[in-house]
Amino acid sequence: MTSAATECRYSMVHVRPGHVVVEHDLLSRSVRSYFSDEAVAPVEEYREGKRIWQYAGTAQSFQFDVKDDATGDVVPFRELLGLMYYGCAKPESDLHRLGHIAHDNNISIYVAVTYESKDGEHTLLSEDKLRVLNRLFNDRLRTPGKKILILPDLFDLYKTMSYGEIMIDFGLTSMEEER
Amino acid sequence: MKLSEIARKLELKAVGQSDLESKDITGVYVSDMVSDIIANAKAGNLLVTIQIHNNVIAAANLVDISGILVTQGKQPTEDVVKMAEKAAIPILSTELNGWQVMTKLYEAGVR
Repeated sequence: MTSAATECRYSMVHVRPGHVVVEHDLLSRSVRSYFSDEAVAPVEEYREGKRIWQYAGTAQSFQFDVKDDATGDVVPFRELLGLMYYGCAKPESDLHRLGHIAHDNNISIYVAVTYESKDGEHTLLSEDKLRVLNRLFNDRLRTPGKKILILPDLFDLYKTMSYGEIMIDFGLTSMEEER
Repeated sequence: MKLSEIARKLELKAVGQSDLESKDITGVYVSDMVSDIIANAKAGNLLVTIQIHNNVIAAANLVDISGILVTQGKQPTEDVVKMAEKAAIPILSTELNGWQVMTKLYEAGVR
């Protein structure tokens, strides 16, 4: 009972477990998140200009780089917050409708959601990195005809980031509370 | 080994509509963390987990997991079952805990 050997050009390397830390500034009602690889997620509030950022919650997550085994190049994915599956999106959303159509053609749609920068700027994952990510996951597939298509966040999902929608881990306790 | 054979040997209960006969299992991965599943599970693996959240289906689909075995009698909600059906990922359930399941899988010849 061994795995079928498949040709995978790309591999996930430098996998770093950590936390997505969500913080908010009560005065401006701003919310943002960042990745921390500290063993215990930081919870201290701190001042940044006029804003005071307070800890709002964490979820287990990870960061990784992708290695091109043909060239030895390593592509970092530090800006990647998570991958959202179309099936987890709201049924009336554009992503869900698009994913539904793609699914009929054996294509599973995911969206690469990225972190905002410290100055609040949001940048999509570059096309080159999306190609690498798509290749990484598609090369691993075994089911005949199945395709994964990872899209940039053209849906502004990062704005509506919530624990229930983004593919990050949750504490078992909070999951129990959802039931 | 076919997923149907594992289901029969371990007396697992199928949750929702699933085609166990067409699914080959290449190995087993045990995890309750979505990020761990994405990073380390292999295509064709049977995922043994206690998680019944829809993010587990999303991760399993991304990695091309052949089936999900939910332990300790946990029952996914109908929307999660439908998502798994659509992704053609069979969900099986058992009252056994993770350790008991792993023991029985080993005894059944899964390596």
